Amino acid sequence: MVLATVPVEYYLLLSAAVFCIGLFGILTRRNALVFLMSVELMLNAANINLVAFAFYWENLTGQVFVLFTMALAAAEVAIGIGIILVLYRNFNDVDVTEATTLKW
Amino acid sequence: MEGVFQFAPAIAALPFVSFLVALLAGKYMPKKGALAGILATGISLGLSLVVLAVVLSGHTYNETLYTFVDAGEPFSLTFGLLIDQLSALMLVIVSLIAFLVHVFSLGYMNDEGEMGLPRYYASLGLFTASMLAFVFSDNLLMAFIFFELVGLCSYLLIGFWFRRDAPPSAAKKAFLVTRFGDYFFLIGVVGVLATFGTAQFAGSEGFPALAEAALGAGETFYGFGAETWFSILGLLVLGGALGKSAQFPFHTWLPDAMEGPTPVSALIHAATMVAAGVYLIARMYGFYALLPTVLAIIAFIGAFTALFAATMGVVKNEIKQVLAYSTISQYGYMMLALGAGSYVAAVFHLTTHAFFKALLFLGAGSVIIAMHHNENMWDMGGLKDEMRVTYLTFLAGSLALAGIFPFAGFWSKDEVLFDTLVVGLETPLLLVAYVMALGAVFLTGFYTLRMVMLTFHGKPRTDTAENPHGVRWNVKFPLVVLGVLAVVAGFINMVPVEKLTGANVSFLSGYLADAPDEFLTSSAHYGELLETYAGYESGVLAGSEPLTVLLGGGLALALALAGAGLGVVLYRADEPTRHTEKLGGLHTLLMNNYYQDEYQVWLAEGLTARVARAADTFDQGVIDGVVNAVSSVSLFSGDRLRRIQTGVVTNYAAIITLSLLALIVVFAVLGGWF
Repeated sequence: MVLATVPVEYYLLLSAAVFCIGLFGILTRRNALVFLMSVELMLNAANINLVAFAFYWENLTGQVFVLFTMALAAAEVAIGIGIILVLYRNFNDVDVTEATTLKW
Repeated sequence: MEGVFQFAPAIAALPFVSFLVALLAGKYMPKKGALAGILATGISLGLSLVVLAVVLSGHTYNETLYTFVDAGEPFSLTFGLLIDQLSALMLVIVSLIAFLVHVFSLGYMNDEGEMGLPRYYASLGLFTASMLAFVFSDNLLMAFIFFELVGLCSYLLIGFWFRRDAPPSAAKKAFLVTRFGDYFFLIGVVGVLATFGTAQFAGSEGFPALAEAALGAGETFYGFGAETWFSILGLLVLGGALGKSAQFPFHTWLPDAMEGPTPVSALIHAATMVAAGVYLIARMYGFYALLPTVLAIIAFIGAFTALFAATMGVVKNEIKQVLAYSTISQYGYMMLALGAGSYVAAVFHLTTHAFFKALLFLGAGSVIIAMHHNENMWDMGGLKDEMRVTYLTFLAGSLALAGIFPFAGFWSKDEVLFDTLVVGLETPLLLVAYVMALGAVFLTGFYTLRMVMLTFHGKPRTDTAENPHGVRWNVKFPLVVLGVLAVVAGFINMVPVEKLTGANVSFLSGYLADAPDEFLTSSAHYGELLETYAGYESGVLAGSEPLTVLLGGGLALALALAGAGLGVVLYRADEPTRHTEKLGGLHTLLMNNYYQDEYQVWLAEGLTARVARAADTFDQGVIDGVVNAVSSVSLFSGDRLRRIQTGVVTNYAAIITLSLLALIVVFAVLGGWF
């Protein structure tokens, strides 16, 4: 197996990198769509971890779990985009810092 | 026979229906609702007479009909019917007067082309209905509810001509003054319910019986001895009775209530409203008979009011004003009788007074129609030839009011005075009340005959008096009925005759003593209570009862005749002089009603309003200030604290990330990763 030659640390590094990109997006961006994408990135970073460990331990549970996570992420995106649409309709913008009517 | 009691609620329900009919359909009816009222009160009168007949045959009724708050413990609130000797008699009086007043209103209101008649007849119907329901109430709370309704209707009727200035203000005054008394009554009702767990008037489960038992057992309530506590309750309820019966110092509303239409005045003063106060005390007499202090207070207020009001009646110039003060004065007698332990005399005077006072007011109404609504007696004169029926009936009523033998008022007033005298001989304090009442007898005779002479005798003093407006059958019929009653009603209880000759002619005394034992509402039972708890005993003058009767009765009659004679002599002239104006400063004082209104207005505006304003300032400043200070601390700190919550997701995410990093560093250092 080709993959077997790649040590698990590489996957973990990849996963950490993807997670950090997502985190960076959340911490710095104001556009709600970018927010959503960043969250997806972070989720997928976790997915990579799960698959990598599943492969490492030769246990399929992790991979099954990933399938669930993906379905969940799809549902989340549907709702998230819905919220963004409403946000746009109400504030004519998708900047999250603009929507301040519910806070002080 | 008892089956008739199933229909007894209809006595009050029928006038209520007439209220609805007059209210909803009155303006489409030929007499604007009068016929519905006459029909309803007529049937009520018939039913009341049947009920009286059944009661006379020895059947009585005391049932709870409807429980509107069924709590069981500590007490339930109910509506019920109590028909015993007292309420059966009162039902007849009220429905009779209401019926006659409805008929009279045809002449006074319809024939005079008044506006708003459906409203008038609707209020009259509700007034009658609430008074009748008040009369047959079997518990204090129900009585209170209808007591208040009576007050409301009097407000509506006194203020009937609301487009003028005076009537609405008089209506408000009547409402507020009586409400002031009712406030105490309400607390009294709550107190009675809380103390006894029941407000029933009659029976061994009723509160008078429980009070007697508690008094016998020497129980204590809320830290007070039984008698002290019951006296407090009794005085609280008395507050309501004093307000409604216009006793000093709550009498000020009554003269102003003359602003209402005259038939209404007749109804208010003879049978409803004002009678309600005295009736209430008589209804729960089993309770008051236990409390000598309260009885003494009642007696003194009554006697003082009788004298006090009579002095003001002496100087008044309007015919209805004189009658108003005589009403206050006469109710003072009833209170005196109740306070002196003479339940029978009070009920007797209530009965005869209802007839002759209704007669006098309706007679005055007839005069007022004739005088084109001029009420000043100095503009009248010489009416006796023009209005024969009115004159004769009015004279009968006046002689009854003055207490001249053998008219109704003589018998009842004499009994009040006699009973006060014999008790006073053993309880000397009451003799003071007796003397005040005697003074009132003289003044009553004087102002009554002054009124008669000024109105009907002498020469006509104005053009209207020369050519008075005629009155029709609907005015004369009630006058004749009441005129006959004012002459003969006294014969139902001729105690002095019985005492002197031994003939059995004290029918009312026997009737009231006849109430069933299990109700504990008979006058015989009250007599025992008075003797045991209040220590009332009868004394005699010069050791001989017939002599006491003769002396007491003779003194009262002599004073009444002296007063009446003085009235006749002074005002007999064709052009009578205004003798009372010679009283100078006293006349001014009396015309201004002893400045009672002024001091009560001062009490309201100068004292109560100021105290209320100060309390308001205290409330707004100190109480609210403390509350506001506490809340402003919370508000301020909350305002500062909430700033750590930015509401920006990014910030939260940054904090979480930084905290995580810090945590990792801590673990790293402590775990020795480096």
